[in-house]
Amino acid sequence: MNDSSLNISIEDVTKSYGDFHALKEVSLEVTSGEFLTLLGPSGSGKTTLLMVLAGFTSPDYGSVKFGEKEVVFEPPHLRGIGMVFQNYALFPHMNVAENVGYPQKLRGVSKEETRISVENALSTVKLDELGHRRIDELSGGQKQRVALARAIVFKPKILLMDEPLSALDKKLREEMQIELRQLHDSLSMTTVYVTHDQKEALTMSDRIAVINDGQLMQLGTPNEIYRRPNNAFIADFIGESTLLPAKVKNGIATVGAAKFKGTQRLKKDGDFMLVVRPEKLFIANRRARDANYFEGVVKDSIFQGESQLMVIKLDPQNYGDRSLRIRLPNGSTNLGELPGVDEKIVLGLKIVDSYFVEATNGGA
Amino acid sequence: MVELEQNLNQAALTQLARREHYTFFGLTLPYLVLVGAMIIIPIGWLFFLSFVGRDGSFSFENYERMINSKAYLRIFITTFKISILTTFFCALFGYPLAYFMSQISRKWANICMIGVLIPFWTSLLVRTYAWLVLLQKKGLVNSVAVDLGLLSEPIKFVHNTSGTLIGMVHIMLPFLILPLYANMRAIDPHCVKAASSLGATPTRAFWTVFFPLSIPGLLAGLLIVFVLCLGFYVTPAVLGGGKVIMAAMKISSNIELYFSWGAASALGVVLLVVTMLILLIASKLVSFDQFGQRS
Amino acid sequence: MKSIFMFKTAVIAAASFGLASFSTASLAEDTLRIVSWGGAYQKGQSVGIFQPAAQAMGITVKEDTYGGISDVKLMVKSGADKFDIFSSGAGGCASGGAEGILEKLDYSVIDVSNHLPGMYSDYCAGADIFSVVAAWNTETYGDNGPRSWADFFDVEKFPGTRAMRAKVDSQLEAALLADGVAKEDIYKVLDSEEGIDRALDKIRSIKPHIAVWWTSGAQHAQLMKDGEVDMTTGWNGRFDVAKLDGAKVSYDWKTGIMDWEGYGIPKGVKNKDLAMKYIAEMMKPEYMAEFAKYITYGPTNKLVYELNLMEDSRARQMPSHPDNAKHQMTLRTDWYAKWRTIAAEKYTEMMTE
Repeated sequence: MNDSSLNISIEDVTKSYGDFHALKEVSLEVTSGEFLTLLGPSGSGKTTLLMVLAGFTSPDYGSVKFGEKEVVFEPPHLRGIGMVFQNYALFPHMNVAENVGYPQKLRGVSKEETRISVENALSTVKLDELGHRRIDELSGGQKQRVALARAIVFKPKILLMDEPLSALDKKLREEMQIELRQLHDSLSMTTVYVTHDQKEALTMSDRIAVINDGQLMQLGTPNEIYRRPNNAFIADFIGESTLLPAKVKNGIATVGAAKFKGTQRLKKDGDFMLVVRPEKLFIANRRARDANYFEGVVKDSIFQGESQLMVIKLDPQNYGDRSLRIRLPNGSTNLGELPGVDEKIVLGLKIVDSYFVEATNGGA
Repeated sequence: MVELEQNLNQAALTQLARREHYTFFGLTLPYLVLVGAMIIIPIGWLFFLSFVGRDGSFSFENYERMINSKAYLRIFITTFKISILTTFFCALFGYPLAYFMSQISRKWANICMIGVLIPFWTSLLVRTYAWLVLLQKKGLVNSVAVDLGLLSEPIKFVHNTSGTLIGMVHIMLPFLILPLYANMRAIDPHCVKAASSLGATPTRAFWTVFFPLSIPGLLAGLLIVFVLCLGFYVTPAVLGGGKVIMAAMKISSNIELYFSWGAASALGVVLLVVTMLILLIASKLVSFDQFGQRS
Repeated sequence: MKSIFMFKTAVIAAASFGLASFSTASLAEDTLRIVSWGGAYQKGQSVGIFQPAAQAMGITVKEDTYGGISDVKLMVKSGADKFDIFSSGAGGCASGGAEGILEKLDYSVIDVSNHLPGMYSDYCAGADIFSVVAAWNTETYGDNGPRSWADFFDVEKFPGTRAMRAKVDSQLEAALLADGVAKEDIYKVLDSEEGIDRALDKIRSIKPHIAVWWTSGAQHAQLMKDGEVDMTTGWNGRFDVAKLDGAKVSYDWKTGIMDWEGYGIPKGVKNKDLAMKYIAEMMKPEYMAEFAKYITYGPTNKLVYELNLMEDSRARQMPSHPDNAKHQMTLRTDWYAKWRTIAAEKYTEMMTE
């Protein structure tokens, strides 16, 4: 732990709105200096959890600690957090410098010190020389940076961000993702970041907490979440995966008609799903023992610039009406040699990439 | 030599752009005509009439009269005093109510709004007389209070300044609340949240963020109320009991007294000029523009 | 005057809007339009005079209300044609006549030979007589109310709240009577600014006790009915009607200042000749007697008394009954023609002090 950040302990946090259970006994530990993302679809409860951390929503029960201190009873203004809102929530009646200096003014910081800290904060977000601008003269990206500068100017130990990039266009959003991450690394404050964009979560986070239905589904590094999803929901939500039903009996999985070897040991019998990532599939010219294979017919082949996406209709006799998608990075294959539409194709999936999840969501 | 060379289609495109400007100007025309017909011409006519004497010739007599009789100055002072006080009390009662309405759900706010607007459906005269019936010496309020022993003697609520203010504030309140509420609803609630997340107490967040953002609506409401008050007739006439003589009442009695539009017009002109001066000074003191823009 | 309107000429536009209900296009030659003050007063006129007189002549008379002589001026000056005859106080007619907006009445057509002295003028044929009196609340003072103007202005002998008119009319006369001026000398004293100031000073002396400045007859009647004030100046007929309604109110004829109401014709009306004949018809004593059944405003035609057209008990309630008239002074419209604007401005100044 360092003194520019605090760890956050969330325990049994529960919140209901009438019959709707927004949060169901969520427990979560955010380590000091970590960049943790709350990821989930809309209505999953991720924003509610963030609002509980910020103090705008009071849980029905449960505990929130910043460091050793219980804060669940503290009003927002005493929590000492920096927060960035989805629509920036800048004060339109103040200029950029006044917006950024606002927290300092509240804290009774001297004018000169405020000026310096505002300059530093603006320079951190690369907005030097824009202090005198009015808010309505800024672009969306600039507003985002001002909101960020305002949230960090008083060096809070915890930074909360609620879908801060959702209003920006794709290119700017991707730039900002990297910038935000770099900023976090240089300031090293504990950051809790809410998004519904799994790609954004994978790009930026130290760890991701996947939230659905008010519950914590999985907590792990982006790599873990991506490669070893706990359940079908996560497997489906993260990445471009296709889930194929599988039956497991005595540790042996059957997908379609074929026996499949998986990367994990399957201790339980029952219905499972094979998680197939398009980029893990390869076109098999010959069969080897370290992989599983699918047979099918090419339905579609789309040039996407950096890659070629093919849609393969699997043999209906074995798999029913199911398709797989395969993504071939441009340059890895001679595109001219690929099978054309309606031609037969055999796809391979390495055993190390063959990962099963239980078919029901609850079985994580 | 004149340069003959022209860029491709430039002349035609310039013309097209010009035509578009004309079209936009054309759209403002109905409004300009309306302003001309409804505002400039009548005010010009008013101004003209104020210099017409009783015998129909050009004369300053209508203005001289106002200087010679102390009554006019007092009437103007009363007019502005009552208008300012009414505006002040409207803000005092209206602002918290509008704030409350802006913070509750839209459904409940709409119900409140109906409550605010119901008085609009009743005639002004009826409402004014209702206050008289309620508040006079042997009216409902005084009778009940005396019977219950809360008062040893009835309070003089009406036939004076306080009665006039009660009636006028009641009638003017919706005019303050409507623009103010619309403004408050438009304030991004995240701004106040942002303020408190950054360390502002609820009071501080209100005064540094919510209140400044509500000022345009407040100013609009104050302006409407103030200007409408200046022309009030019925309520001060009924509830003022002759103790509160406002400009509109004197305008009316001057028409009767002098049989001349000029005698009334001059009062109107002075009222207009003084009002404009007050607004000019007010706009210098409070920069309207500062709050005019939104993100 | 007897404005039953709460706010009289308040909104002249509104009044003229009301007048617009007369359709000018479809008027036949045997149709007249007459305007008056509305309320109980016009009801009495309508039932007692306007309609019976029209019937007797075989013509149609349409009625409406109006806001006073300034409405007549507006109509004449704007060239509109909205009514042929109006009912007005003598003072209103006098100032209208001075403005040149009225037709001179033809007294060879209109017979005023039996009118009480002074109850007709060039522009106004007198129809009824009313009085301004000092009325008191009998609950406060019993039978011993202010029986003279001196009593009305004596706040020590008669503590209590007062109401006076928001307009100057007949208020200065009352003040001077209270100040000890004999009723014959009132207009001599008032014929100078000093005299007017003297009257105003008398009113100033009791100003803290004046709770309300009234603007209409309906209002001063209501003030007495509600017990809002203990005494007020006002029109006798209003108090009599209020008394019938259960108001605790009384007055003494010794405070009476007699004034009269009549009919005038705006300048330039098309039906002038017919209007003149109609006014002549309305001057007949039987109409005035009938009218007096509805409100205690006495006839200007002395034949009503001479021919005993009224029951004696009713006749005794009229301001113009000889027993009542002998105590009273009579208001002089010529003084108002000369001094009204000056007196009115000074009066407003006194009110706003």
